[in-house]
Amino acid sequence: MSNKALSAGLGNCPQCHKLNVMHTEKQACSRCKTLFFARKPKSIEYTLAWTIAALVMFIPANIYPMMVFYTLGKPDASTILEGIAIFIQLGMLPVAIIIFIASFVVPLGKIIGLFTLMYSSKKPTKLTLKQQGKLYHIVEFLGPWSMLDVFVVTVMAAVVNLGFLTSIEVASGITYFTLMVVFTIFAAESFDPRLLWDNHQKHNHNTVTPYKEYKNTDDKCHDK
Amino acid sequence: MSHSSINNMLACHQCDSLLPMPLLAEGQKAYCGCCGATLFSKKKDAINRTIAVAIAGLLLLFPAILLPIIGIGAAGLYNDASLVGCITLLIDTRNYIIAFAVFMFTIAIPTVRLFTALYISLCIRFNRTKPSLLVFFRSYHILDTWTMIHVFFMGVIVSMYKLSALADMTIGGGLLSLVLLLLCSTLVSVTMDQHSIWHKLEETIE
Repeated sequence: MSNKALSAGLGNCPQCHKLNVMHTEKQACSRCKTLFFARKPKSIEYTLAWTIAALVMFIPANIYPMMVFYTLGKPDASTILEGIAIFIQLGMLPVAIIIFIASFVVPLGKIIGLFTLMYSSKKPTKLTLKQQGKLYHIVEFLGPWSMLDVFVVTVMAAVVNLGFLTSIEVASGITYFTLMVVFTIFAAESFDPRLLWDNHQKHNHNTVTPYKEYKNTDDKCHDK
Repeated sequence: MSHSSINNMLACHQCDSLLPMPLLAEGQKAYCGCCGATLFSKKKDAINRTIAVAIAGLLLLFPAILLPIIGIGAAGLYNDASLVGCITLLIDTRNYIIAFAVFMFTIAIPTVRLFTALYISLCIRFNRTKPSLLVFFRSYHILDTWTMIHVFFMGVIVSMYKLSALADMTIGGGLLSLVLLLLCSTLVSVTMDQHSIWHKLEETIE
């Protein structure tokens, strides 16, 4: 197994990726002055908290209507899944698929993915490290794309505004949906992927060096 | 561990493997041998290209935000909406959280991000590096995650498809500007050479 920076008393700056000698648990990067830790502190706890918050928001986001469609003054509210059903009835299958993936499959998949990642960083799993790394990448990449439905509803509500004839109004469900998307992005941000490799090493090699062992022998190399 | 050896090494940001600092020619990319994550890449003519693209992007911001993107007409009535129009409508209907989110993700953060890219590149181009650039460049890294012009554009496309079945749809100048702005915003990430900018800042400041 290759050498880890942590066991050599080194830490990678999360902002500029400069390798630093860790003197204390928390220190400023010698290049960009960011305060950082060798591993994000309480990474799993924060990720778990944000993920649960997102999961809670997912419920009202699906129960309450996303938008209200007024035709000749008659309101017609629809939730995410009802909206998709309407598109299928109208024969607009491509839109239905895009909306279904962007606003139902992706958010739920992201939450499941985050739970899987948190589990794999604590316990040995069947997933290989490469798959875990890929999963983290996908969760991180998908972050902003869940906002698609919010933008669609916003544009629709602003454009379809023909007074009594037809108009679309934004409804309360979308607020919960936005919060859910933001929470999942925060969850992915607070997860430290290096924990996956740490855990793998712990369970497969049993040769982890003590966590808090910093080499204080060469102080000169910190200050440039 | 001596001073020179730590500067010639790097740790993978994904799996924390210690690796020797690779020497790259222009246009090459370095990958982690352990987990396969991209470590960094060296780009061609990065500073000049970033300046050009960022200026173009900042100029395109105004038409993209203010001009109407799409409009619909039915039974003699007509209505269109710009990006600012969308946000003011959300505020009028008291959806403050969404209004704030849309404003931040599609206007505020992309603007600050483009401005930051331009400012840093200009300072390096004319050799005027100063410690405040560190703060700017750090914020650039954070803002990268929260730029959502590409998602907004996809949202406009989906809305267009939906609306075309509903009523007569027209395309405004805002849509073209939005496409070009999206192009510039993406190109900034492509042309910007973060690794060498950090390296340059480290060499010149202090």
